[in-house]
Amino acid sequence: MSSSVLDEQNFHHCCRLLLQQSEQLKDGWSWEAVQGSEEGYLRKTALRSVVTDSRPVWDHEGSSSESEPHTPCHTGLDQSGLVAPVDADSIEGDIDDEEDEGEDEGACTVSEGSSQVLQYEYHIVYSCSYCTPVLYFRASTLEGKSLSLEEVWSSVHPNFRLRLQNSPLNTITLQEHPLLGQPFFMLHPCRTEEFMRPVLQAAQDQHRPVNYVLSWLSVVGPVVGLDVPLKYSTQLHPTASLSSTKPD
Amino acid sequence: MADDKDVLRDVWFGRIPTCFTLNQDEVTEREAEPYYLLLPRVSYLTLVTDKVKKHFLKVMKAEDVEEMWFEYEGTPLKWHYPIGVLFDLHASNTVLPWSITVHFKNFPDRDLLHCPSSSVIEAHFMSSIKEADALKHKSQVVNDMQKKDHKQLWMGLQNDKFDQFWAMNRKLMEYSTEDGGFRYIPFRIYQTMSDRPFIQKLFRPVSPEGNVHTLGDLLKEMYPTALPNDGEPKRYQVVIHGIEPLLETPLQWLSEHLSHPDNFLHICIIPTPTD
Repeated sequence: MSSSVLDEQNFHHCCRLLLQQSEQLKDGWSWEAVQGSEEGYLRKTALRSVVTDSRPVWDHEGSSSESEPHTPCHTGLDQSGLVAPVDADSIEGDIDDEEDEGEDEGACTVSEGSSQVLQYEYHIVYSCSYCTPVLYFRASTLEGKSLSLEEVWSSVHPNFRLRLQNSPLNTITLQEHPLLGQPFFMLHPCRTEEFMRPVLQAAQDQHRPVNYVLSWLSVVGPVVGLDVPLKYSTQLHPTASLSSTKPD
Repeated sequence: MADDKDVLRDVWFGRIPTCFTLNQDEVTEREAEPYYLLLPRVSYLTLVTDKVKKHFLKVMKAEDVEEMWFEYEGTPLKWHYPIGVLFDLHASNTVLPWSITVHFKNFPDRDLLHCPSSSVIEAHFMSSIKEADALKHKSQVVNDMQKKDHKQLWMGLQNDKFDQFWAMNRKLMEYSTEDGGFRYIPFRIYQTMSDRPFIQKLFRPVSPEGNVHTLGDLLKEMYPTALPNDGEPKRYQVVIHGIEPLLETPLQWLSEHLSHPDNFLHICIIPTPTD
């Protein structure tokens, strides 16, 4: 893939690959088609144990959450990825540090605050305006009560929260789902090209194929509790896992 | 051209006479009178209804008041759609004034986006402008603008200042002559016959062979059901800003002159009324 944008055909292709792997890994993704057309989206639901802590971000400095080194939803991904242009070395270096390969449940085990089990629904939809995938999601309690934007914010790890808050367009907002018409939270796609470019360039330089959707998801997913198990990439390159620790 | 600039003004100053009535299940201290207002077609419900809220709050207790929302004949109205689009889509062939019901309870959060402040409306508006420019100019024009220029677009809309808005918006309507038009046309086609909220895809104003694409060409590609079959009576009306432009109209011209302030061409497909 020579450009940092994705056309719709390639999007479908990447989704098909992701689906095949998801089936083998039992990761729960499915393809939902729009009635009577080829258009559709990837969908996954997950239960997530979350600490709903509505304290403002600045109160978290020095809280015990920051001293937890292996909380899966942020380890290795505390990079300037979503807001500022990304340095390819910083992504790969951070991912190399990731040791929790076995943990694929997005459980933020922060000890402060009250813990709740929430039902999350994630959709990956193609944006033809930005030529990128876009992550939509909604969350509710097990009794079916929808989460508000404030509640969703409070379940985003403080490290991500600071980054997102600094740039209003790169943040989580409530939007109308373009195919379903219902309110969903969305991570704004206008900076996707910026952080994908070095990832794709590095892959091209090393003559490795890369699944755009998978790489993109591994960056944005963890921000909202969607973990992407490393087994997705080791499956793609069974020999690469021996020669290099760099995943796609 | 003098005529084309008149079109811009006519679009900007389009108004819909509306009657707001309080939902009869709301708890009031005395009877609420309806409130009449001329709504700008190109603005958003939550941006122009402060007076409506103040009017009904006079007869209600604070504890009975939650986020205000609007409904027309049972359909919750999406504040993030331009007012003119809501009217054309749901009420265009009905008697004026447009009768909207006002609610302060039971916000339908499976149908409507919350709108806690005008900064949410501003963010939504600017997001549309940026998306439109991504389609027209690969975001080059909007990214070259300064923050104060973006603010000027928003303030122009918020304060109903045509000249202030267009002083900046004209830059978003420029293109190089060799291109013959924008890269892609920002448009959305709305209909109420299916669940899908709108159709939005990539479409060029000029074909690779150099043929100018028309409104009819767009519909043929995106929503052929809207077009009449030869010899048959028209089943659907294709409505933009309350009028039915000729299908032969060049799409590039429509995009430059009949877009909303958000830089999108919003097209409503409604069943032809059977009198």
